[in-house]
Amino acid sequence: MTVVRPCFAAASLLCPDRPVADPRGQPRTRVLRSRYLIMADDAPSRPTRSFNLGRFLTPAIGVLVVAFILWRLWGVLFVERIYGPDTWVRFAVSGVILGGVYALIALGYTLVYGILFMINFAHGDVMMLGAFAGYFTLEAFSSAGLLNKSLAWSIVSVAVTFVAGILTSTVAAVILERIAYRPLRKAPRLVPLISAIGASLFLENMAQLVFGSARRRYTNPEMIQHNVGWNLTVSGEQVLITYTGVLTFVLSILLMIGLYVLVQRTKAGKAMRAVAEDKEIAALMGIDVDRVIGSTFVISGVLAGAAGVMWGLHMGIVYHYVGFIPGIKAFTAAVMGGIGNIPGAMLGGLALGLMEALGPAALGIPFQLKDVLAFSILVLVLVFRPTGLLGEVLSEKKM
Amino acid sequence: MSHVRSSLRNSLLTSGISCCAVLLGLTGLAGAMVADWFGLPTRTVGAWVLLLAIAFWGGARTVGHSKSASVVAGSLMPSATHAFVLALFVGLISSLLDSGVNMREYLTQMSPEAVGLLTFGFAPWAASLVVFVALLAAGVAGAAVVFASVRHRWRESWARGWRGVRTKVMAAPLVSRFARHKSSRRVSYAIAVAILLALPFGLGRYWNYILGTVGIYVILGLGLNILVGMTGLLNLGYAAFFAIGAYTVAILTAPQFNTCWSFWAALPVGVLLATLTGVLLSLPVLRMRGDYLAIVTLGFGEIIRILAKSDVLTDFSGGPRGVRAVAGPELFGVSFSSALHFMYLILLGIMLAIFVVSRLQGSRPGRAWMAMREDEDVAQAMGIYTLKYKVLAFAISAAFAGLGGGIFASRNMFTGPEDFTLMVSVNVLCLVIIGGMGSIPGVVVGALVLKGLPEVLRQLSDYRMLAFGALLVMMMILRPEGLWPSTRGRMAAQGSREEPGSRSASEPSPGV
Repeated sequence: MTVVRPCFAAASLLCPDRPVADPRGQPRTRVLRSRYLIMADDAPSRPTRSFNLGRFLTPAIGVLVVAFILWRLWGVLFVERIYGPDTWVRFAVSGVILGGVYALIALGYTLVYGILFMINFAHGDVMMLGAFAGYFTLEAFSSAGLLNKSLAWSIVSVAVTFVAGILTSTVAAVILERIAYRPLRKAPRLVPLISAIGASLFLENMAQLVFGSARRRYTNPEMIQHNVGWNLTVSGEQVLITYTGVLTFVLSILLMIGLYVLVQRTKAGKAMRAVAEDKEIAALMGIDVDRVIGSTFVISGVLAGAAGVMWGLHMGIVYHYVGFIPGIKAFTAAVMGGIGNIPGAMLGGLALGLMEALGPAALGIPFQLKDVLAFSILVLVLVFRPTGLLGEVLSEKKM
Repeated sequence: MSHVRSSLRNSLLTSGISCCAVLLGLTGLAGAMVADWFGLPTRTVGAWVLLLAIAFWGGARTVGHSKSASVVAGSLMPSATHAFVLALFVGLISSLLDSGVNMREYLTQMSPEAVGLLTFGFAPWAASLVVFVALLAAGVAGAAVVFASVRHRWRESWARGWRGVRTKVMAAPLVSRFARHKSSRRVSYAIAVAILLALPFGLGRYWNYILGTVGIYVILGLGLNILVGMTGLLNLGYAAFFAIGAYTVAILTAPQFNTCWSFWAALPVGVLLATLTGVLLSLPVLRMRGDYLAIVTLGFGEIIRILAKSDVLTDFSGGPRGVRAVAGPELFGVSFSSALHFMYLILLGIMLAIFVVSRLQGSRPGRAWMAMREDEDVAQAMGIYTLKYKVLAFAISAAFAGLGGGIFASRNMFTGPEDFTLMVSVNVLCLVIIGGMGSIPGVVVGALVLKGLPEVLRQLSDYRMLAFGALLVMMMILRPEGLWPSTRGRMAAQGSREEPGSRSASEPSPGV
């Protein structure tokens, strides 16, 4: 259609010496153009349409949302006064810790997305494998009677747990890349996504078949049990800050700093940034693109493994779906921060964790709906800032 | 050096696969299936057949296209590594079992019986030895067989024979002339419709139920096909529209809400509400592209599901318990109760959907969608008001989901939040892609494969999701254009390969 019909118009344009007039006296060429060029009837509607939906709708949504939030905040903080300051501190602490874990997982998504422009749907399941490896390591230490033997042994066992989780996740991520993603490097963009979904299903069901579907409790060393920690006194009430929480937060911050240094200050990081910018040019500059992509998956596996063990130590439970919800949330966080952007993923993760913990209380909505809140925030962020909080213009750019 | 690396990689791959097969209990499953088919008293045979087959394949992989006899010797190293790893693994597990450790607490498939299939009840060291020798022999045998087939050009002669069969039988002049003729195509359509209408009578209750589920997924797939296949907009929250259709019909017809509409009145309302939701969702996300759109729609799908599950709407949606006693439709005094009745309703829905989609494909919106899929900027430059057509695509696709949802709720006489998880959206997306994006028969094939095949393979019930995941990955690698691609999709897939027209991607040679 699009090719053939304009050819008639062009053909009559090629014979200008005999302009065929139509009954109303206009040259035939104009008639042809308006009748046969594809979608010609829609063409004038774009520049001249008087009612611009987007321009009108977005501020309207914005005003409504802001009004709703202010109304609820006013109600909760000054009228109902359900929560004391200690409760707010408790929420904030749990939000910050959760946010640290989200940020770590989100970094894995954002790194892979930044380089391959694909959603690594199986990333949460890579984290799950790391959590399982940590669980088995701790079980081994505890059945050998070493877990609580002395302070040194406890520290060693936790360290080995992290190493085991990180190693497992890294190996899983690398194998995943080799089998499920590398053959699809040049395929259309939906294809790797489906492959990733398949890999995610495979990993979840494999874990279920091999390890069973029971929920397993992490056996933490006694010094970092879930009810052990510092007590903070806020307006006369005790607020417990658990050691696991502190460990989780501090480690995630350290890992993020490490990643930032790696990406910004080292040669390998420079190569990664170059590949993210343009694979072909990077290859021409002598960068081994396959190796850089492989190392990206290594890094994302390391972060996921650490996040998995932290999740196990802090939340205490692993099972085969444990990576699914954090994975989706972390991806949300990555998109919120601007996907492909490393500080964005950190900011997005922390912001999402905080909003999830504080949001339901602050808006006075049931805690069941915290996921609704998280996803609504995502939608709103993308409506008002389609690039994410810190991102480049990717959402509207063609890739 | 590269030789060592490649043989190491080969042995790692086979070792990983066979260890996974043991850990996943695939050996026990293969044993049970072989014992079932051949009436054997023991499961040992099947288990060993599986392991030896993996070793054989591993050995065959090492050969490649080389015609020199040294390749058989070259396969010795990787085969030995594989055999060694598995022998170590079996020895470790059986000695752990012997020492009285309860393996099943950690590795659920590792029961003493399952391990006994591999050890024959020998002591661990003897069992390891048996495993080592057997797998090594199988690996070398695999290499030798492939080597022989390369040297004697078996492969070429097979291909020649197959080509002969294909040209003589399948593309016989009579058949192709019949297929090309327009009126005969109409006749074949009519025959197909007649078979479809007669088929449910011949099937039992169980198969009608299964095929009904497949049919509902066909309707959903046709709807999503408009968004993903034709317009190129990725939607991971399609279950939300499905849920809205289902809940609307459920609430309007269920007796506990005092509305008690008839199904025929409630269904259009459900479709309408789903359409409206589609339009409402599409408005804020119109300017997003690609993965951003995917993630926002995913979020939207989860929002709807969580809201349906929550206490906030429990008066309407029944919370986690869902809505019970959804009324079935009634027509000419016959109230639909059996799977057979619903099968006809679903067939009607499918025909409607296919009619609408096939009319849309060549129409102005259809061509606009396809232009937008190929290149949105160019489409806009050609004068397509892309926003309008995006809203239209969302609306029509949501309407199909609403239709499917309404029928689904009424057939199950129940609707609850767990029917609309993310997995439903993912399933529908996968069936569109497995079938072939933008192709109507592809959707039917995809639904049959995705929802029908797992039911046929009930025996493998524990393993079907695992197999499904592996199948998705393999499909994407070997045949990304889908099982029954539209002509345009086939052209695009072929054009993107290095050699147009070659089928190298779908037929991996044994050496690769």
